[in-house]
Amino acid sequence: MKVKRGDFLKGRIFSIEEFSIFDGDGIRTTVFLKGCPLRCAWCHSPEGQKFEMEYLRSPNGCLSCGACLAAGGGRLTAASVDACPRNLVRAAGEDVEPEQLYRRLSRHFDMLNHAGGGVTFSGGEPLAQPEFLYECLCLLRGRTNRGLQTSGYATNAIFSRILGECDLLLFDLKLIDEATHKRYTGVSSEPILDNYHTAAASGKRLLTRIPLIPGVTDTEENVTAICRVMQESNVAYAELLPYNRLAGSKYPLAGRVYDPPFNTEQVPAVRQEIFAAHGIQTKIL
Amino acid sequence: MTELVQSFLDYFRTRAYRKERRTLPPITFDAVKDRYQYFPYVFSRICEEEVPVLRHPGDEFGFNRTVHVQFAGNGCMNNHTPDYAWALSNGFEEILADLARRADGADEEGKAFYRAATDSIHTLLTFCECYRAEAERAGCDKLARALATVPRKPATTYYEALLFMKLLIFAHRASGVSHLTLGRFDQYMYPYYLASQKAGITEDALLEETELFFISINMDTDIYTGVQQGDNGQSLVLGGCTPECEDVFNELSEMILTASEELCLIDPKINLRVSAKTPLERYVRATRLTAKGLGFPQYCNDDIVIPGLVSLGYAYEDACNYAVAACWEFIVPAVAYDIPNIRTMNFPLVVRKATMECLEGCDTFEDFFSAVKHHILAYFDERRVATSQYEWSKRFHPNPFGSLFLTDCREKGRDAFAFVTKYKNFGIHGLGVGPAVDALMAICRTVYEEKSISKAELLAALENDFRDAEPLRRRLLACPKLGSGDEECEKLMVRMLHFYAGAVNHTPNGVGGIWRAGTGGSQDYVTMSRDVGATADGRHAGEPYPSSFSPSIGVRAAGLLSVIEAFTRPDMKTLINGGPLTIELHTNVFRNEEGIRKVALLVAEFIRRGGHELQLNALHRDTLIEAQKHPEQYPDLIVRVWGWSGYFCELDLPFQNQIISRTDYQL
Repeated sequence: MKVKRGDFLKGRIFSIEEFSIFDGDGIRTTVFLKGCPLRCAWCHSPEGQKFEMEYLRSPNGCLSCGACLAAGGGRLTAASVDACPRNLVRAAGEDVEPEQLYRRLSRHFDMLNHAGGGVTFSGGEPLAQPEFLYECLCLLRGRTNRGLQTSGYATNAIFSRILGECDLLLFDLKLIDEATHKRYTGVSSEPILDNYHTAAASGKRLLTRIPLIPGVTDTEENVTAICRVMQESNVAYAELLPYNRLAGSKYPLAGRVYDPPFNTEQVPAVRQEIFAAHGIQTKIL
Repeated sequence: MTELVQSFLDYFRTRAYRKERRTLPPITFDAVKDRYQYFPYVFSRICEEEVPVLRHPGDEFGFNRTVHVQFAGNGCMNNHTPDYAWALSNGFEEILADLARRADGADEEGKAFYRAATDSIHTLLTFCECYRAEAERAGCDKLARALATVPRKPATTYYEALLFMKLLIFAHRASGVSHLTLGRFDQYMYPYYLASQKAGITEDALLEETELFFISINMDTDIYTGVQQGDNGQSLVLGGCTPECEDVFNELSEMILTASEELCLIDPKINLRVSAKTPLERYVRATRLTAKGLGFPQYCNDDIVIPGLVSLGYAYEDACNYAVAACWEFIVPAVAYDIPNIRTMNFPLVVRKATMECLEGCDTFEDFFSAVKHHILAYFDERRVATSQYEWSKRFHPNPFGSLFLTDCREKGRDAFAFVTKYKNFGIHGLGVGPAVDALMAICRTVYEEKSISKAELLAALENDFRDAEPLRRRLLACPKLGSGDEECEKLMVRMLHFYAGAVNHTPNGVGGIWRAGTGGSQDYVTMSRDVGATADGRHAGEPYPSSFSPSIGVRAAGLLSVIEAFTRPDMKTLINGGPLTIELHTNVFRNEEGIRKVALLVAEFIRRGGHELQLNALHRDTLIEAQKHPEQYPDLIVRVWGWSGYFCELDLPFQNQIISRTDYQL
């Protein structure tokens, strides 16, 4: 997706997080790009899914005065942000040119670089705005470490082009079986696995991240399959992200209901021994 | 920790012993013959009433209070950083002999001073003898043996030095000193630590002694004078450098961090001296303590503080020996009796006054900024002149015992408030920098640049506390704020603080010292904001300011890097009265080694960029509950949820509750 305003290329982001601790090496700033082709059942960023602008309303402290809806003609709009007397409505989505984003990020290059960090692009799915992402990565080349946190879902051509401009990849491996992958994420796993092998073969720094969703991705069968994929690519390190029941907490903000098709109360299985048996070191985040 | 320490800690936490304390009626000044005798008299009355008691096998130090007395009338000696090393290495027999020699050649006032100081020491020695007898009776052989020599003779072991310290704290507090700090504890105690080590005392035993001592100095904190409980100045400083730039962080410094981490008590509050050369591993070590949620260590940057003190006229050697008084004020032990918190510059009030009185007549923002500068100067002058008219001898009782621990007072036979010390400077806090700069920015943007708000509209809205002017207030709120990553805001702060420092620093204070400018605010961020009307940053009348040197309450900062960028931008060497940038992080940030290491990296960056002082809080349950009740005041409270970070107040209630219960586990 690319947002055009006049002749200038713009991308749509929904957040910039400074000092993001678990998004790569050192001190990092993470830019979250809006829009994602996947619909993972455990997604914790509902505001990152749609490409369209959205407005989020925090229910806590809401006076139910209706000022936000009145200002927006019955729905939340940009006018609702100003109308809320308690500042509870905010926009999820901002269109920025790569140069604008670069200027914002560049204020902290000195700090980021000195502390062994850099900038990470996340989402949503950053690969879903490939031109914007590519421009941003090119602007950052030689200025700071460039990370990409991705589901890996894109054509191999797009992925390879972007990969060429990255220094660090945080690549999610969720489900290997094609049917299960489709069922829980809405898309095929084929391009993802293809791109994973491309990433591993590139020699770029690769952090494989595995969300452990109870009864979905944490099964012995899936974990073993992930290990095989990693072995095939000669990757020997993975970071495990056990499911946390707070994953649904932002849904009410976006006016949506979080109702995943798995038991959210179940503690996910952390099968480090399977990874170990495949010669893969793991760390739990 | 050992079983003995755990058991003593459990006993301390019951606080049952506090209920057994008796309260004496206030002891008035009328009861004594001369003014020098007031505190010696109070001290002797307290010691007469005190009952030596050792309630627990872990109480190896005693000297806990069984009576409490309110000091009457005048103020007490405060922010005192005594020359402990002098007492520890001499013992009171030698000190008494020295005082007798000095009294012989002294003038009348000097004689009165030495007499009173001598009386206090005799009172203390008599009381120590009572304690020795009680220790013997109770079978506390270690304490009884040590009291057979200490404090008459110098300390020879680490335990004896700790005991000496405990009774010095007892004596200072009972003789009317408030905000008594422990100074460079790891430096003056180190020779005794090494002596014990050499004598074969194991590291474990030395750690146990340290921990029992720390519990012991928490026993009476409820009766120490302070604005809030815990505001007692019982802080210490670790690390630092010699004049030859040698790093002096030692094994004892390390042990103190361990003890503090294991005990999780409010005292001693720890300050860590660091510099651009400090190894990352030390920050990592200190961050583990921050993760405990105690709000310390506070970091002090030698690269900024030392040259800052030197530029204020402190000798380089003295500057290298700085410690922290009370909360964050930099002070030099033994040679300084500075009063670093005697006044406060109420920045938002000053900007409001300039707005109400001068905005109408200012054609450009530069004109208005000149008016603000004029008001800063006038506000400082008013306080400077008022302070210069103090009759110190009427405001404060002399404290000959406490004054003995200041080299010049001891040698000249004069009380601390006679201001005979090498340094006797006054400090002014700089309160509410965040809201003041935000107000300046809003005026610059809306009144002068965009012309979207007329002067008359703004003045009327401020006058009426934004009544019927909510849209205008929202326009002010929408202006860039300090910490939101806005370059113009940061430049305004730099200009304002540059002028303020220039106006304050080096101004004579009337007692032979100078004024020093700072960025702190102690309790004033609540008390001094109550009566301040609405301000142009959109703040309502009476709303509190942020504490210390921080973005305004309710401002959604762009992020931690932007906050650090902004608050390290002024020349902090010129603002060396102290006042830390305060950053609050959720305890979740510290949940694993990676998080701890990254917080440590952040601190190192703050120091490298020239920040002077930093305080990190790991937020705990109470804050989260407060945030639930008042979400509008905590928009920036970040929580790590799962693989992502979010704003606590934006989470649905059940999720908030879950985090609150989880935080309990983490603490």
